[in-house]
Amino acid sequence: MKKVLVTLGLFVSLAMALPSPVRADRDGFSDAVKTIEQFYHVKHQNIPLLARAGVKAVKTAAKIRGGEYRKLAEAGSVRVAFFEDQKFDSHGQIASFKSAMQTTLAADWSALVQTLAPKTEEQTYVYIRDAGKDFHVLIITIEKTEGTVVQATVAPQILAELLKSPDEMGKALTDEATTSDP
Amino acid sequence: MNKLFRTIFKFGPALLLLIASAAAAMGQSAKLQLDQLDVLANRASDTVDVKLDEHLMQTTAKFFSGKDSDDAEIRDLIKNVKGIYVKSFSFEKENEYSAAEIESVMSQLRGGGWSKIIGITSKKDGDNVEVYLLNIGDQISGLAVVSAEPKEFTIVNVVGPIDLEKLSKLEGSFGVPYLNLPPAKPKTDKEVK
Repeated sequence: MKKVLVTLGLFVSLAMALPSPVRADRDGFSDAVKTIEQFYHVKHQNIPLLARAGVKAVKTAAKIRGGEYRKLAEAGSVRVAFFEDQKFDSHGQIASFKSAMQTTLAADWSALVQTLAPKTEEQTYVYIRDAGKDFHVLIITIEKTEGTVVQATVAPQILAELLKSPDEMGKALTDEATTSDP
Repeated sequence: MNKLFRTIFKFGPALLLLIASAAAAMGQSAKLQLDQLDVLANRASDTVDVKLDEHLMQTTAKFFSGKDSDDAEIRDLIKNVKGIYVKSFSFEKENEYSAAEIESVMSQLRGGGWSKIIGITSKKDGDNVEVYLLNIGDQISGLAVVSAEPKEFTIVNVVGPIDLEKLSKLEGSFGVPYLNLPPAKPKTDKEVK
């Protein structure tokens, strides 16, 4: 009996160690926020200050690559976390933050775009995962004193448009999420 | 059960080695391993890293409508592409990266069936652009463009069949930078080999 239990325990441990997609659905949004907080020792706010200031009634839509303005995210799908008036300093180890974020999200998300500028601490990360017929897009934007994490559901038609210019994609979606009423 | 575990532990490493060797022998992967370049990110003033995998490309390719001629061309160009990977590092000063640091990538292009079809070197500016193709049979199954300038290093890796004549259509899209490549020459037997 003891042997059986030990064997079972071994299999369970192995199964837990595998980065398997069959494990319970993880919350990439919260994981990304936590990773930022742990690496940079900063704290986020969930409620957008812009929304609190009453700007939420303003309806805007992002402009994709010189085209017309369109709504990008599916209605009601946007989650936003803000980091405001905080100090983002990786002390020359910006690549370590990149790999920490990759480790956090790699099991469920695919990295699409990552841009880094160590001098200004500016970073953008765009991650994607399937969401039925649509896609979940997770965008992490960091600057010297502020950061934003946005998760939104995007239809494949919109994603196709955004992919034409993936480096502008993060900005387009973040602009929409932080200046409109999702 | 104990016997089974002992057998696995005894022959496991040898089995793993065998599997790894077989995978290496099959070699000829059009997808280059580029993650080793990430060490440059701490020194670079700007880094861009774009990864478009097959699933994403094929899911979205059908949404490039035929109504717009540019979209239709892009759709035709990418319909069989299995991935586009771009890494670009810009530096404030010259010579902030060394040949040794990019060797892990260049060594992949020197073997595994890759052949250099274009090599442009500017002695004046120190710019160096090389285009490599991976042919399997008569078909292009991968492409790599390496642009090494004194203050910038960029590599573009397209996995899957791609029409060289239309490669410029991808410039400025899907994260592919403007490469200013000369028009593609018709394929010769030597290049196909």
